[in-house]
This record gives sequence, structure tokens and C-alpha cells, in this order.
Amino acid sequence: MSAMTMPEKWMTAPDPSSPEPRLTLKSQLEDLTLVIPWVKAIAARYSVSANTQFAIELCLEEALSNIIRHGYRGQADQAISIVCTVKCSPSDAAVDELVFTAEDHAPPFDPLALFADTPAPAPVSFQDFPPGGQGIRLMHKFASRLAWQQLADGNRLTLAFAIRA
Amino acid sequence: MAGGITRVALDGRMDIAGAAVVDLKMNIIAGSAKKLLIDLEKVEFLGSMGLRSIVIPARAVKSRGGKVVLFAPNEMVESVLKTSGIDTLIPVCHDLDAAIAALA
Repeated sequence: MSAMTMPEKWMTAPDPSSPEPRLTLKSQLEDLTLVIPWVKAIAARYSVSANTQFAIELCLEEALSNIIRHGYRGQADQAISIVCTVKCSPSDAAVDELVFTAEDHAPPFDPLALFADTPAPAPVSFQDFPPGGQGIRLMHKFASRLAWQQLADGNRLTLAFAIRA
Repeated sequence: MAGGITRVALDGRMDIAGAAVVDLKMNIIAGSAKKLLIDLEKVEFLGSMGLRSIVIPARAVKSRGGKVVLFAPNEMVESVLKTSGIDTLIPVCHDLDAAIAALA
């Protein structure tokens, strides 16, 4: 999958009053607790609905835990950076979308290739219920858009969330 | 609860950290319960690891011929359940009488 491209009508809105737009984690699951207050501050700043905040927290937990477990494969001292970018419509400058971009330096790993953006087939028994992979399905369901890009020395995963109906 | 029903009330965030806290207790309860009502009313957040903390004990109960029902998830938690497809294996009820009836 190629990098996500934004429609031409979008523009980035610099906003000095925003919460810190970048969060850097170490590749350990314990560091995921840092994501929650960061997302809460962003959600409060941009009046994000509770449901959208849930979706952002869900997708970031799934994406970042995938990077830690499958990308870095247990190496706990590696870096993951997440940047939040605000996208506004030029027509009224209102914030329409929050875009989170997670970058790592792990070997190439496209989590979105594991499961297509299709509903999970309804399991008829617990044997049919896959023990893994639910996180990717949840990301497809709860993010507005997803994209993965291989970098020269890592991966970039982009997760976008519409915040205005 | 009456009728041999074991009611487990979860609360807070069922994320990776929350799942780690409840996993052992859930599995112990699932080891003996035959009718298990998992009360999700106060669960604020459910991720894939939290989902596993529900599915694994539920599978254990059902493998012994028992029954499991999920009770009162909020809108977003229920959306997670439905996206996973687990709601086709475990009934999701918002009414306590219906939940008890599903375990009969």
C-alpha cells in the first residue's frame, strides 16, 4: 500500500496553543500508558467527541502494540514517534480531521496487509474465532483512513480520524 | 445470583494493562462457572487484548457445556464486540432479564 495522500482541499493548520504534537515512546508495552493522557489532551483541545476519542485510543493502542510486538519483536529500547497533525478545511478553517503518524525503525512490516478492509466472517464456533488479528480489523473499522509506507530505515503508519460530521 | 449464575462485573479500561489485571481472575472464575454473566456496564474501553480476556474464559466455559452472556456494553464497546464477530458466539444483552433468560 502506498502512502496516504490528502485531498487538495486540505491544509495543515499550525496552532501554537495545541498540545505537544509529538509523542515519543520506547518499544515496550508499558509505554502505551503515555498515549492515553496525550490523546485526552488533544481531544480536549479540539473538542473531539467521546466516541472519536475512543476510536483514536483504540487504533493507537492496536497500532503501537503491533509495532512493539511484531515490528521490533521484543527489542525494548527502540523508539517509536507519533505525530498528530491537524487538518482544516480552507472554507471555514474548522478542524475536520486529526491525523496520527507513527514512525519506527523496525524491519519492514505492513500490518494492513494482514487483513483486508472487509468485515470478519461470522464465526460459527470458537474454533473459527481467530486468536489474533482482531486489532487490525478494529483499526479498519474505527479509523477513517489508514495507510502504511515503508521508509528507508523503518515504517510509517498513518491513521486519520474525521472529527466533524 | 440465583439460578447458578456467576456474575462478573468488569470496570474501567480493558486495554492491554487492564487485561493483564483481570486475566488470571477471569480464568479462575471460568474454571468453575457453568453460567457466566460478564457485566460490561462499567467498562469504558475495550481493545483487542481486553477482548481476549473475555473470549478465552468464555471459550473455557462453553467447552464444558456452559453458557456465557455479555451484559450492558456501552455503544463503542459493543461496536468492538460486533466488529470482532464474537457477538455471534456469545449473546449480548442490555436487559438483565434477557441476560438471565439466555443463560437458562
